Amino acid sequence: MSMKSNRKIWGVLVTAALVTGMLAGCGTNQESAESSTKTVESTEEGTGESTGEAAAEKEAGGEKITLTFGSHQSGLPTSEVVQDLAKKFEEETGVVIDFQISPDAQWRDLIKVKLDSGEAPDIFCADTPINLASSMQMDEYCVPLTDEEWVSRIDENVLPAISIDDDVYGITFPGKKMYFYIYNKEIFEEAGVEVPATYEEFKNVCRKIKDLGYTPVYEATTNGWHQVLPLFETGGLYLSKDTELYNKLNKNEMDFDQVPDLLTIIEQLQECAELGYFGDDYLSNAVENAKEAIASEKAAMFIAEAAWRNEVVADFPDFDAGKLGIFVMPWGDNQVIGVNPASNAYFINKNSKYVEEAKEFFEFLARPENLQARLDGQPGLSEVCWPEIPGRYSEEDSAYIDAHDKATVVQVAVNYVDYQWMDVGKDLESMYAGAMTPEDVLKAFMDRRNEQAVLQKDESWAE
Amino acid sequence: MDRNKIYPWYFTGGAVFIYSLLCFIPGVLGILYSFTDWNNFSREINFVGLKNYISVFSGHSEYMSFIGNTLLFTIATTILKTVAGFCIALLLTQKFIKFKNFHRMVIFSPQVMSYLVVGLVFRSMLHPTTGFVNNFLKSIGLERLALNWLTDLKLVFPSVITVDVWKGMGYIMVVIIAGLVSISSAYYEAADIDGASFWQKTKSITIPLLKPVIINVIILNVTYGLRVFDMIYSLTNGGPGNATGVINTAVYKEFSKGNLAMGTTLSSILFFFILALLYFILRSMDHKEMET
Repeated sequence: MSMKSNRKIWGVLVTAALVTGMLAGCGTNQESAESSTKTVESTEEGTGESTGEAAAEKEAGGEKITLTFGSHQSGLPTSEVVQDLAKKFEEETGVVIDFQISPDAQWRDLIKVKLDSGEAPDIFCADTPINLASSMQMDEYCVPLTDEEWVSRIDENVLPAISIDDDVYGITFPGKKMYFYIYNKEIFEEAGVEVPATYEEFKNVCRKIKDLGYTPVYEATTNGWHQVLPLFETGGLYLSKDTELYNKLNKNEMDFDQVPDLLTIIEQLQECAELGYFGDDYLSNAVENAKEAIASEKAAMFIAEAAWRNEVVADFPDFDAGKLGIFVMPWGDNQVIGVNPASNAYFINKNSKYVEEAKEFFEFLARPENLQARLDGQPGLSEVCWPEIPGRYSEEDSAYIDAHDKATVVQVAVNYVDYQWMDVGKDLESMYAGAMTPEDVLKAFMDRRNEQAVLQKDESWAE
Repeated sequence: MDRNKIYPWYFTGGAVFIYSLLCFIPGVLGILYSFTDWNNFSREINFVGLKNYISVFSGHSEYMSFIGNTLLFTIATTILKTVAGFCIALLLTQKFIKFKNFHRMVIFSPQVMSYLVVGLVFRSMLHPTTGFVNNFLKSIGLERLALNWLTDLKLVFPSVITVDVWKGMGYIMVVIIAGLVSISSAYYEAADIDGASFWQKTKSITIPLLKPVIINVIILNVTYGLRVFDMIYSLTNGGPGNATGVINTAVYKEFSKGNLAMGTTLSSILFFFILALLYFILRSMDHKEMET
């Protein structure tokens, strides 16, 4: 009997010990987390992952400050020019910038969670535009920068992408993006064709080039995004028929089936694919291999930014980039250059302890010599969005660009387009494979847009 | 029986607590979320009843095609893997085969590789112009057979299924070999004395005695097939278009769109489906055991 009760008592005691052990474990966890941040703080280049605010270190002479800077991979140029500038900034001011870089695919969700939980870094990079209903609510999380000196020096066309209402919240560097058909002048000459201005001319060019044995257009659908460019970079064409189009779409007063040119372009893409103008393997191709296809002169045309030619030369130094020209995508007889002012921008966390130091870093980045360094450090960039720094467009390109009208692309001005970019890419792939018609592609796009608007409780979609 | 030897129930407390905290409660929560409008864009979570389930089974033909693809993939891979695994196992337990263990190792080795690696390797091997498969076919004069394996709507599903069977049949083979080895040779000797042919022995001795093993193999294949994700994701990413999308690729897409409730709805459907299927398979197994 006594044995039995003994065992019971032991049982209870052991269970109690286990439970207290667990609770105590939770308690000390926090303490140890705090103490671990302290150790991070005391090392000079600590990766203060968990610290919401910057880690500060007392030094003999005074206070040394570390600012945390969170970004996705494509937010910082691969040449690490921003990191180099940060080192110079440290030499000058003693403020250390600690970079924390995450994969592109995860960043949008990760930074949102971090901002919500108050664990965001002092400075962070996020994709722009931030003024769409479907963007992150930067006015809730970030320090307004409207009164900074450098704001007046940024290209005014870019400001809306980093502003909410009339307040500027971020600093941005990449210049506006413009996609063209990059074409091989020698192949065009050999085929005896000129740069096309209408879709019919474009088809004619493709036919003659195909007859010579070249692939007229290098297209690649496996990356998911490239095939979508003709649909939304041609916003100027849509706007030319109705200047209020973007507003009407955002207010849900009309939908994309009332933009007949969009369906026309989808049908034209299908026609070109069927005629073999994208080659045989476009459904298996990757965008990364376009440089090889153009440099080896297997293909005559490819949609890219003008500065993409520098990347071709960087990978294939023997290739003469002078052979490559640019022309506007002539889908739907479009002759307007699509301008995308958005890219990504850096923001200052409202809850940071060191807002002033972060502002100082932005000022440092905005100095003319540092803007120039930024442009020089990124060969794929045509220009920065700071008019005082001359861009890299050649005279020939500049003349071509100046001679054409420009208009904002659809995805930065109309809600619920950009977020489903990859889905539209998949639908186009379905269309090329024969599983969808152009009408299906358009309908699926409109359905997703309406679905997302309802999900986000958009007022214009309220019944 | 000495009652003192039985430990009191609360000794399981710790394990039950951890199990429910880490496994059971999150599972139930996941199912509960499928009855809400939980998403990335608002902090409110409202109860919406069966709305998500209704939209899966009605208007959205896309979801139904994902469910259909999942079933097709499961049925095809289960049959092919079991048949192929069984045949190879039978072959590699015959006396006239030399270096049995070497052959077994070679056939089993794809199982050890990561799905992502297999998917990416096959994607480049099946590329229409630069891939190994088509270049090989062309070099031996079979140009006609050099096709667009992963982009032709008619071929893409068979291609994916073939790669998956290639990867998975080794494992099934190993399980079946273990079953074959455990069959007493006395049965075969008796059959030999009666003058039974190989086919008669296989039909009347091997297959009946392997039944429990084969049922286990089928359960393994079915649960794998219904939950397939990485193979499809790395090989075709559900493409071309959505031609090879399955339930789990759809779940992934819904989560990345921020429609978290729809993601949990689709995975709950999968959960209930597997549960129901397993119940029937296990019931039929119990039944068999009672008969014997």
